[in-house]
Amino acid sequence: MPLISGRIQTLLQDPQATKVLATADKLGSPHIILDSTITSNEQGQIIYLELIETSQTNVNLVNSIWFKRKVAIQLSGTGEVYLIKGYPVYSIISGPLFEHYYKLCAARNPEFDLSTVWVIEPDEVSEDTYEARKSKERAEHPLVMHLDRLAK
Amino acid sequence: MMCAVSFQASGQTSELTLQEVLEKYNDVSPFVIIKSDITRRSFVYTDRALQALDKDKHQYQQRVLIGSNGDEHAAVPVSLLLRDGTSIIAMPSPGARNPYVVDRIDGKLYITDQGRVVEEVEYWYKPHYYDQFTSSGKPMWQVASARPQRLDIDPNSHCHFWSGGNGCKFCNINANSTRSHKERNMEKQLKAQDVYETVKEALKQPGAFTNLKMSSGSILSGQEIFDDEVDMYIEMLQAAGDNFKERKFPSTLVASAFNERQLAKIYENTGLMTYTSDIEIPNEALFAWICKGKHKEVGYREWKRRIIAAVDIFGAGNVSSGIVGGCEMAKPHGIKDEDEALKIVLEEAEDFASQGVSMVHCVWVPMQGSAFHNQVTPSLEYYVQLAKGLSGIRQKYRLNIDMDNYRKCGNHPDTDLDRGIGGATFQCH
Ligand code: SF4
Repeated sequence: MPLISGRIQTLLQDPQATKVLATADKLGSPHIILDSTITSNEQGQIIYLELIETSQTNVNLVNSIWFKRKVAIQLSGTGEVYLIKGYPVYSIISGPLFEHYYKLCAARNPEFDLSTVWVIEPDEVSEDTYEARKSKERAEHPLVMHLDRLAK
Repeated sequence: MMCAVSFQASGQTSELTLQEVLEKYNDVSPFVIIKSDITRRSFVYTDRALQALDKDKHQYQQRVLIGSNGDEHAAVPVSLLLRDGTSIIAMPSPGARNPYVVDRIDGKLYITDQGRVVEEVEYWYKPHYYDQFTSSGKPMWQVASARPQRLDIDPNSHCHFWSGGNGCKFCNINANSTRSHKERNMEKQLKAQDVYETVKEALKQPGAFTNLKMSSGSILSGQEIFDDEVDMYIEMLQAAGDNFKERKFPSTLVASAFNERQLAKIYENTGLMTYTSDIEIPNEALFAWICKGKHKEVGYREWKRRIIAAVDIFGAGNVSSGIVGGCEMAKPHGIKDEDEALKIVLEEAEDFASQGVSMVHCVWVPMQGSAFHNQVTPSLEYYVQLAKGLSGIRQKYRLNIDMDNYRKCGNHPDTDLDRGIGGATFQCH
């Protein structure tokens, strides 16, 4: 069963969904971007289209693919939030797949000059709404809470 | 400086293996290390891997100045690309002692070493214009060759320095072009109209290229040495440039060391934006031995001075100089100790950088047809230290290498490394 399926796959194809990509540089300094064009391919891998060659995100993704460091994507629609962590596995800069996405970007906006097609292989997926995080906390750490919450 | 060669208890020397180098230099991109070693040790294809070559999709013949233009009867992929977009500029070399093996496993291509998978690879794709012909009937692939993101036009594949045995000892340009001319009727000189038409066709493919590079063998004739070479480039760059709507376009010239008058003439009359002239061996005594013709006609110091003078015309960050990394250790006159060789090379690179010129290296391949075809290259560790050293110098002097980066050229492990730091920023005019 692929990690990305069902609702998550649908959200990834939804341009209205909110999609945030978090990366870190060589020294661990974090960086995030909001990009509603993040999507997924048929293999359940995440596709991020980088438009700016020397952007901080691109440099961080380069370091992630070189040194096998994870990146994170937060995905949210109405009433649902998911957190996906994974490894960049391909940085595509030429060939037919690149050309396909290059044309796609140009169709979105003729100004867009695609730098890199990043393919991210998901490794962990979790629900990330407050409710989901809270119920996990209650289940795994029942001693961690204020007593007044339990008062009659 | 760390010694690249370790001593075993038996007293024999042994180089670190790829795995050991990857572990020791775990702050260096493993893709760059793997690329350097594949170039250094060369590779062969299994039959399974060769069957994956699709002649409609992949490149299997290419016009190159140095190396080999391929053999249409035995279609072999032109080269390889790694998962992170790193290019490998190498071809299988028949005399390789310990080559890697490209194999096809479960439908994917991998580079393997002694049966162990090292990394996934991909063959270079063929651009759309490749199988077309110019109006004069020239196959377009013989006019412009393509790296994964670069259009290469080499208008003259004959070098005058070879007359009287004065060619650079690592180079096989005239042997390669003579063979291709004889066996495949490939012209040594290009015509401007063919260049114009080929570039026009190449630009129709969306997102295919980020740079246009021109290079050639040196032409010594003219009123002053290289005057005819300069005029040829102006004609060819103008022909290519007629296809662009702006006068200047991302472009590189890798040429002889022109004087200021000649450089200004090219800059003012063409769309050229960046310039490289290779110092090849960054040491005067070794240059005099290995690049005998260049030393005799121009001299190491003048060659270097002219490259640095080009910064005033093209701007800092827009001039680089290439070296054949490791060739400084060629036998019998080369530097014997790797640490010492590295020190000499990096000191000279720093002197260039302090004057606005990036030094970039390729991995020396002792090629068939070159005077050094029987030589042995330094250790892999040497190349890792060289790439780190050159990249570090650029960082120190805040020189960006956009003109010769991982996708503009792909032949320099040191500039591949700059990608991981986003490149320094140096404003040029
Ligand atoms: S100058 Fe040297 S390296 Fe360049 S083409 Fe001539 S012989 Fe080869």
